[in-house]
Amino acid sequence: MKLLDFPAYLRDTAFRLLPHRARTGLFPIGDPGPGAPVLVTGNFTLTVRRLRDVLAGQAAWLLVVNSKGFNVWCAAGGGHLTHHDIISAMRVAHLADKVSHREVILPQLAATGVERRAITTATGFETRWGPARLEDLPAFLGRGSRVFNAERFMRFPGWERQEMAAIWYAPALILLTPILWFALGPAAALAGSAGLVVMVATLFAMLPRFNPLGRWRLPILLGFGLFGALAGWGLLAASGGATLWPLIAIGTTNLIGTGLLFMDLSGTTPWYPSVVNTGANPATITLNEARCNGSGDCVMVCPRQVLKMNGRRRKVEIREPAQCIQCGACIVQCPRDALLFRYADGSTVEAPTIRNTRLNLLGKRRTLHR
Amino acid sequence: MSSFVWMKVLESTPERYDRGISMLSGGRIGEVYQRIAEIAAVPARRVLDIGCGTGAVTLACATRGAVVTGIDINAEMLDVARAKPVPEGGSAVFLQRAAAEIEDLFGEASLGAVVSCLAFSEMSVEEQDYALETALTRLVPGGVIVIADEAEPATGFRRLLHRLRRLPVVVATYLVTQTSTRPLAGLTGRMRAAGFAEVTQERMLSGAFLIARGRRP
Ligand SMILES: C[S@@+](CC[C@H](N)C(=O)[O-])C[C@H]1O[C@@H](n2cnc3c(N)ncnc32)[C@H](O)[C@@H]1O
Ligand code: SF4
Repeated sequence: MKLLDFPAYLRDTAFRLLPHRARTGLFPIGDPGPGAPVLVTGNFTLTVRRLRDVLAGQAAWLLVVNSKGFNVWCAAGGGHLTHHDIISAMRVAHLADKVSHREVILPQLAATGVERRAITTATGFETRWGPARLEDLPAFLGRGSRVFNAERFMRFPGWERQEMAAIWYAPALILLTPILWFALGPAAALAGSAGLVVMVATLFAMLPRFNPLGRWRLPILLGFGLFGALAGWGLLAASGGATLWPLIAIGTTNLIGTGLLFMDLSGTTPWYPSVVNTGANPATITLNEARCNGSGDCVMVCPRQVLKMNGRRRKVEIREPAQCIQCGACIVQCPRDALLFRYADGSTVEAPTIRNTRLNLLGKRRTLHR
Repeated sequence: MSSFVWMKVLESTPERYDRGISMLSGGRIGEVYQRIAEIAAVPARRVLDIGCGTGAVTLACATRGAVVTGIDINAEMLDVARAKPVPEGGSAVFLQRAAAEIEDLFGEASLGAVVSCLAFSEMSVEEQDYALETALTRLVPGGVIVIADEAEPATGFRRLLHRLRRLPVVVATYLVTQTSTRPLAGLTGRMRAAGFAEVTQERMLSGAFLIARGRRP
C-alpha cells in the first residue's frame, strides 16, 4: 500500500458498511494487449486499490463493475452485484472491441448473485471463476488462469480479522467517546474507548480458538467484556481517575459491546452463517441426487469446501454440511437445480427461490420477483 | 453501533424511496412525473422507462394509455413498483434489466418514446452515452426521448447558493430515507452527440429540475 492511500484505507475499513464507490470501467494493468485476461471486480474502493497493488507487474484488464460501492461478497449476496451489472460494464466498455479472446474471469465470491450463463447469452463471452481471494490472483494468472482447490476456500487471516473488528468498534467509538468525554472527562473517554478497542481486537484475534455459535458463546463473550472492562479500569487507575461513575460507565460500555457482538458475531465472519434470522430454524444444504449430473459448478464456488466431486460416480457429495455458511452460491450456480436448503422445521427452499432472494445483513432472505 | 442497525436502515431504502424523493422536491416531484408523461405518452404508444425505480413515471405514462415497459437494475425497487395498481386503459410491465440491456428487449425502431427520470445521474457518463446511443436506434423515426434529472444553476455563484440552500433538505432526507440524488451535467450536448435532433430543455421546480427532450431524426 502506498503511504498516500492510508487515510482512504482507514476510511474504507472503519466504515466498510457504507458504500465507497470507485470509478467503473475497463482499466489496463501494466501493458495489456488484446490477448490479456480480463478480471472482473466490484467498485468498492478498497478492493480496487488492493487489486492494483497485488496485480502490479502483471498485464491484464481490470473491469470495474458498478457494485454500488460495496465489496463483491456483500454486494452479490445483497443484490447489488448481478449479471446485469456485469453485462452492462462489458458492453459500456466495448470489451468485445478491446480484447481478441472471449472470456472474462469473475470473482468467485460473486457467485451468490451472478448467473454466468446470462452473461454468455448476452455478450458471447465465456466466463470462469477466479480464486476467492485477490492475493491468489498473480499465481492464478501465472498458471494460465487455473484455480487450485485450496484457493476456493475462504480464509480469514489475522489482519483481515482486525479489519472486521474495526467495523464494530469504529462506529461505537464515534458515538461513545464524545459522550464519555462530555459526561465524565477526557480520562474516562480515553480509557473507555481503549478498553473497548482492546476487547474487540482481542476477540477477533482469538476467533479461531472458540466457536461463536457454540453453547459457551455467551460466557465467552462476557469474559471478553470483563477483560475489556479490566483494561479500561486499569488505564483509568493509572491515570488516577478511577472514581465511581467512570468505572461504571466503562463496565457498562463493555457489557453493551459484548451484548451487540452476541447478537451476530458469526455473521461478520466468513466462517459461520449469520444466525439472527435462522438461529431457531437452521438450514442444511441438501442434494437431490437424481438431478445431479456431476457438472461440478457448485464445487467451484463453495467458499467452505462443503462439496466434493465423486469422479467415479459423477455425482457431487455433501462432505462437510456443518461447515456450510448458507450463502447459497452452489444452489444459484447448479445448472440442474439439484441443490436446496432444508430447514429444521421440514420446509425446503429450492434454486429458483434462492436466485430470486437476496440476503440482507441479518441473514434474512427477502423474496424478490423478476 | 453494529452492522445490522446500519444495514437495516440502508436496506429498507426502496420502501422509503417515494417518501424521500417527495421530501427532496418539496412535495412537487409529481409535477415532473406528469410533465414527462405529457410529453412522451399517448394512447397505445410503446414507451420504455429506463431506471423506472418504484414506477412513478411508468405509471404516469400508462395512465395516459401508453403501453409501458419499466426497466430497472434493482429488483427491490421493482418489487415496490409491481405492488402499485396499473391504471386502466394503459399497461405497465416491469423487468429487471440494466440500461445497457435495452437492446436485448427491443428491436430496432420498435419504441414510440423513451423516458428516464433521475436515473441517468446514477450511471457513469459512459453508461449514459451507451444508453442514449441504443435508445436512438430503438426509437421509430420521429420517436421522442425525455430525460429528467436534477440540475444545478449554470453559473458559479448561483450554484453555490443553490447548494447551500439545498443542504439541509439533503441531509434531512438522507437521514430519514437514505435517498439522495446528484445533479447531471452536460446532458443536452451528449444527446446531440448521440444523434438526437430537436434537442431542447426546460426547467421545473424553480430551476432545480431539468427536462431534456429530443427526437430520432
Ligand atoms: C433515483 S431512482 C429514480 C426512480 C424513478 N425513475 C423516479 O423518478 O422516481 C434511480 C433508479 O435508477 C436505477 N438505475 C441506476 N442505474 C441503472 C442502470 N444502469 N440501469 C437500470 N437502472 C438503473 C436505480 O436502480 C434506481 O431505481
Ligand atoms: S455448500 Fe453452503 S457454503 Fe458452500 S456454496 Fe453451498 S450454501 Fe455456500
